[in-house]
Amino acid sequence: MQLRHTITLLGFITILFQSCADFLDVNDNPNAPVSENLALSAKLPAALVASVNQEQGQLNQLGALWGGYWGTSSEGINSFFHQKNYNGPGMRDVRDGYPVWETTYTTLVYYHLIREQAEQEGEPFYEGVAKIMQGWHFLRLVDIYNNVPFEEALQGTTNSTPSYEAGQDVYQKAVNLITEGISAIQMAPAAQVAGTDDVLFKGNKTLWAKFGNTVKLRALIRQSEKDNAAYINAELAKIAAEGSGFLGMGESALIQPGYLQTAGKMNPFYESYYRNVQQAATANYQDIRPTTYLLEKYTERNDPRLGQLYLAVNGDYNGVVFGDPVVNQALYGRANTSALKGPLENNGQPAGLLKSPTQASVLMGSFESLFLQAEAAQRGWINLSAEELYNAAITESFVYLGLNGAAADEYLNQSEVAYQGTLDQLILQKWLSLNSISSIEAWNDFRRLGMPQFPNSLAINNPSVRPQRLMYPETERMTNLDEVVSQGDDQVTTAKVWWAN
Amino acid sequence: MMRRLKITFILALGFSLLMLSHQLSAQRVHVFGTITERDSGLPLPGAVIQVEDTPVTSVSGRNGEFRMYAEVGDQITISFLGFLTQRLQVGAEEQTLDIRMEEDQKMLSEVVVTGALGIRRAAKEIGGGTQVIGNEYLNQGKTVNPLTGLTSKVAGLRINMYDSKVDPQIQIVMRGSRSLNRNANAPIYVVDGVPIPDISRLNPNDIESITVLKGANAAALYGSEGVNGALMITTKRGTKGNTRVTFSNTTTFSDVFLLPGAQNEFGQGQNGVYDPLQHESWGPRFDGTMRDFGPELPDGTQPQLLYAAPNRDNRLKLFQRGMNLQNDISFSGGDDNSSYFLSLQDVRITGILPGDESNRTGARFNGSKKFGNLRTSYNLNYVTFSKSFAPDGPWLSTYTSPANLDYTQMVDWQDPNSIAYPNNYFTDLVKNPFFLLDNYRQNNDQYTINGKIELDYEVKPWLSVIYRLGFYMDVNETRNTTGKFEGIGRRNVNGAVTDINDNFQRYNGDLILNFRKQFGKFSNNLILGQNFRADNSKRVTVGASNLLLPGIYNPDVRVGELTSGSGSSITEYRSLAVYGEWTGGYDNFLYVTLTGRNDWVSVLDPSNRSYFYPGVSTSFLFPEVIPFLKDSKFLTFGKLFASWNRTGNVTLAPYRLNNPYSQTNGFPFGTLVGFTPSSAYPNPGIQPEFVTSYEVGTQLSFLDHRLHVEGSYVYSDSEGQIFNASVSRATGYSTAIVNAGRLTNRIVELSIMGDVLQRQDQKLNVGITFSRINNNVEELYEGDSYNIFRQSYANVGQSYPSLMVSDYLRDPQGRVVINQETGYPQVSPVETHLGTMVPPYQAGASVIYKFRNLSIAAQFDGRWGGWLYSEIIPRQYTAGTHPRTVAYDREPFLYPNSVIQQEDGSFVENIAILSPGDKAFWDFEGKIQSNTAVKSDFFKLRELNLTYELPQKWFGGQRFLEAASLSLIGTNLFILRHKDNDHGDPEYLYNSTDGYVSFRQVPPFRTYGFNVNLSF
Repeated sequence: MQLRHTITLLGFITILFQSCADFLDVNDNPNAPVSENLALSAKLPAALVASVNQEQGQLNQLGALWGGYWGTSSEGINSFFHQKNYNGPGMRDVRDGYPVWETTYTTLVYYHLIREQAEQEGEPFYEGVAKIMQGWHFLRLVDIYNNVPFEEALQGTTNSTPSYEAGQDVYQKAVNLITEGISAIQMAPAAQVAGTDDVLFKGNKTLWAKFGNTVKLRALIRQSEKDNAAYINAELAKIAAEGSGFLGMGESALIQPGYLQTAGKMNPFYESYYRNVQQAATANYQDIRPTTYLLEKYTERNDPRLGQLYLAVNGDYNGVVFGDPVVNQALYGRANTSALKGPLENNGQPAGLLKSPTQASVLMGSFESLFLQAEAAQRGWINLSAEELYNAAITESFVYLGLNGAAADEYLNQSEVAYQGTLDQLILQKWLSLNSISSIEAWNDFRRLGMPQFPNSLAINNPSVRPQRLMYPETERMTNLDEVVSQGDDQVTTAKVWWAN
Repeated sequence: MMRRLKITFILALGFSLLMLSHQLSAQRVHVFGTITERDSGLPLPGAVIQVEDTPVTSVSGRNGEFRMYAEVGDQITISFLGFLTQRLQVGAEEQTLDIRMEEDQKMLSEVVVTGALGIRRAAKEIGGGTQVIGNEYLNQGKTVNPLTGLTSKVAGLRINMYDSKVDPQIQIVMRGSRSLNRNANAPIYVVDGVPIPDISRLNPNDIESITVLKGANAAALYGSEGVNGALMITTKRGTKGNTRVTFSNTTTFSDVFLLPGAQNEFGQGQNGVYDPLQHESWGPRFDGTMRDFGPELPDGTQPQLLYAAPNRDNRLKLFQRGMNLQNDISFSGGDDNSSYFLSLQDVRITGILPGDESNRTGARFNGSKKFGNLRTSYNLNYVTFSKSFAPDGPWLSTYTSPANLDYTQMVDWQDPNSIAYPNNYFTDLVKNPFFLLDNYRQNNDQYTINGKIELDYEVKPWLSVIYRLGFYMDVNETRNTTGKFEGIGRRNVNGAVTDINDNFQRYNGDLILNFRKQFGKFSNNLILGQNFRADNSKRVTVGASNLLLPGIYNPDVRVGELTSGSGSSITEYRSLAVYGEWTGGYDNFLYVTLTGRNDWVSVLDPSNRSYFYPGVSTSFLFPEVIPFLKDSKFLTFGKLFASWNRTGNVTLAPYRLNNPYSQTNGFPFGTLVGFTPSSAYPNPGIQPEFVTSYEVGTQLSFLDHRLHVEGSYVYSDSEGQIFNASVSRATGYSTAIVNAGRLTNRIVELSIMGDVLQRQDQKLNVGITFSRINNNVEELYEGDSYNIFRQSYANVGQSYPSLMVSDYLRDPQGRVVINQETGYPQVSPVETHLGTMVPPYQAGASVIYKFRNLSIAAQFDGRWGGWLYSEIIPRQYTAGTHPRTVAYDREPFLYPNSVIQQEDGSFVENIAILSPGDKAFWDFEGKIQSNTAVKSDFFKLRELNLTYELPQKWFGGQRFLEAASLSLIGTNLFILRHKDNDHGDPEYLYNSTDGYVSFRQVPPFRTYGFNVNLSF
């Protein structure tokens, strides 16, 4: 009987092994979809929101601090300490650093995967959008780091130590990507155009083309000081040939996924720089104050935007000095300086920058596009009236901040504001319009033209030392050190981006 | 006829004599006495006294005493493992027996260990390193977690406790790192034959012994998980005889110690100017004046604080004296066919941070019963564990706050007119640590049920069939809460709650056929088996980050939507295996074992999921064949062993072959969905990794077993490591799962144990374990360096993990190069390799001294040769609390040992360029990581135990209490560190990492207390 039992048991084992394959087939993830489960329309909105979050978050903040807009109250003396001290190692730190590199490449791979899927599925609209946005981000990367990986980037372990390419080459390749993107979009049949999942232009092909052309124009203007006329003219000709033109009045690139008054679903600028979901003022709201220099530029010109943007303290608009290492409560205390004005200080009505917790996020304002066109016209690159564009740009800025055209006209009537044809004036007005919206462009323009001449951080003893770019991040040093080292000078204050002057 | 009568007479006489003798023997007498060791005179508890051919047995008590009834003329045997069995006849007169047991010199060869699959076998057969830790040694420090009690007691086993919370987590690594995946170097835990994922909830008092099977070979039958060796835990069983009841209470106290160094010369402010609202210590020098402190209170008063350096480290006031109360009771007994063991334990711990506490209540029932040829045994262990602790904020707030902060004023944070009230706290840049302690809580209730059923059927004397089914279930209910506090700006706290419910179940079944047959001098043991494993887990998370009311922690009572992590996930893992092992022995001195196993695992692609791995080992008792050694008094036992094996391993979690998409950044917004991929690059073609290792070693016993020496050399080579490598973020991903690299370990292990002193009434036993692990990264998948985690790297040609830090730019003489324009030191463009983050050298020493009823046991632990770095340091630099920030009085200073680089590239000594000694400068210095790294060498008195056994005579005249003892115990009483290390205890490392002290790390504690043990 014992042997019989043994045989039974052995039989049991045999049966068990016949069902072995089924027993082991439990490795399909029941918790999350994989790429193949998801349509392009389920991926594009997340990528676009990631793009605008970085633009409104990281880049806007860095630009606002290094572009002359923001300082901190005395209480916030230790906030943004690395930015105030141009502390490169502090900002590249893997733990406490400022991960522009990491965020950008993560967003880039979202578009890379969308592009691959779109090419595979024959969806030229999505392919075009992905290419334009990839171009956008590669341009940004060069602006922040100069030489970066392009061809070998975004390939996972196929190329786990991508080699860097010269900033200028990446700029050209990014511009080409956008050109390809525009033509892909233009090719897309009506039935294949995105709908509400295109949280930027709702499938409007012309607006996408205009947006692409405007981003390219920005890339060309960036190299204005580099004697690159041949290249610039060739690219301008391509834009002209494409024919859609640039973003014009009323054509701001705004992203609105449908923000809600819930933590993590609010407009990120509002949630980070004003009030949280519980209506409590955020740390940024308490610390960040406009610079005295900025407020002066508004007040000197009787700018009505000032009252839309900021709160007066006893009738005065009081600013701070960026990087001031000394506590001075009377002058720069939180309560004695002008904070941003929001709906709570405006009888519940939208104020200038802060309109509502569910306001759309700005990827690129129509006023920026108009200023770019105005500069191109001023330089004679395009055959349009620089003055008209300049006036339109200022008017659009007024409108965005909740003022009307009449107020803009009145402002423009002042002799100091009326178009004079100088780059100084144009860039200053651009600077005033982009304040805290696309602040990174303020730092970019300063590195390009040294305009406007806002004061250096007080924490820095040497007035001529300014931040030029971020150091390559520590994550990159940890994983791709040879490439980092071979790029040479990596100091914040000395390593210049290729287009910088 | 006469002859017949004669015979009858003789028979009758014989019969009546027989009757007489029977009557005589029926006379019951009281047999009692003490059992001691012959050589040392020390009592021998646990010896078995049995009346031959009867079930009557007794077991000697704590002091070797025993008493029982027997009949005059009975033969009784006294036996104890490791000693020669004695026999004696019961006399008619009651007398105190003084039995002196002699050690059995051959017994070491009879030592039985718990081998693979829980099958008990003679140690002499095993061709690999093994070590057995008994209950008493394990519990010397009366630790709550059995792993803590093992620390430094086993050569080659490294155990780190990595925080000071009320449920300290443990890192355990056997014989060095075989895997670059830092969570994959722990041995498998096998409790009574069943592998379970965690033993930290096991009551150490329930453990009879832990057999440590060090080599992958011994554990090969456990498959992949056995690649790092096995801890074979045998829990207590009842023994035949009287019911025994033991009760024990342990009470210990814990005090924080080894806080990182801090300056106490400068107080709060900025740029040398006092500021009542700033928490960073960049103000003026302490001057003993009273100064305004913080904002005005609601009643209009302005708080003030003495601006002076305190005599005592104020930070200590954040902490309290922790307490640890353990109560244990156990019952055991049994008869010829069954046994039982029942234990109950209750542990209550209050932590060193106010409000932190944990409770553990557990019960174990082990039973066995024999039905003819079928032996059945069953275990059930149920443990409830609950803990409540504050997350990392309070300590972080404290070590960045000024030295004169008086924490006693900060306790009463609920009084709206107190400076401790969150709206009145002196700064809004950090929060009152006592508010953090009370308002942010992590609560966890855990229920663990663990059991097994084992059927062992003896089909034939040479064949038994065993089926063993194990079940492990772990339910974890977590609730993390943040109390709502309505304040202004930064002082505002949104009410939040996260409820997490984790449910984990494991079923593990083994069917084992065990053949044993002796052919002449050849012994054979063949094991064939089949295993299945199914792990199921489910996690449900619900959270709200904007609760409506303070104190109501229900995600439903909220404003807005649930937090984005709310959801559930299910995970399934399964594996199947068949395995076999054959052990052949020749004439009890030569043994050869062959093993083989094939695994099928669910987590790999079907084309890769089956893998086979073999092993061979041998053991040779050489004195048996060398004539002059055979009966040598000098060498009493000798074994040589060697093994080779190759073990496959899959450390991949389920569902890692594809990239999962999820919704982040606020998605979904109503009907608009938005999915993004994870930043880990998947690799569908991932393969099993393989570890090939061999081991040679010897076990020797000298001088009547007074000296034992065991040594081994181990080589292991792990190839095709599965791990999550950091990759350049420009790849679009942060990590990638790869089969990368090859790691080798060359390990020397040595243990020496000896009775240094062995007298009539005293005994001194000293044991030393030593191991040296020479780890080397041989090759990597791509390139010659991989980042593992923060500063830890795998670098080809170096010991894993390598500590790489940013350092100053230095001239060839090592002097720091100073930037002439700024006075700042320059940073080297390349990282500096300091050394390995795991100490390659480890030694443990145990000293046990017994004098009559008194015993002292001390466990020392030393580790050296490694490095650590601390993330607390940069934060202290930034906050101005680090001692170095006051080294130059916060004035511009000449950087010591510094140089200037000339135009031509040469270096000249810096004699003029001053470095600014301000915050920006020191903040910059703190970012130079070489300032945060130190050597992690240490030597500590890990455990000290002083026990007094109450003399047996005190228990005379009563039958209730059998034995009692009283102990004083302490842990971490004494530590020596490397001279540069003022960071903390090098052993306290963060979250299963090596050599990494997180900025969250709460300082360690030491404990001291007492234990009372009673048996009835």
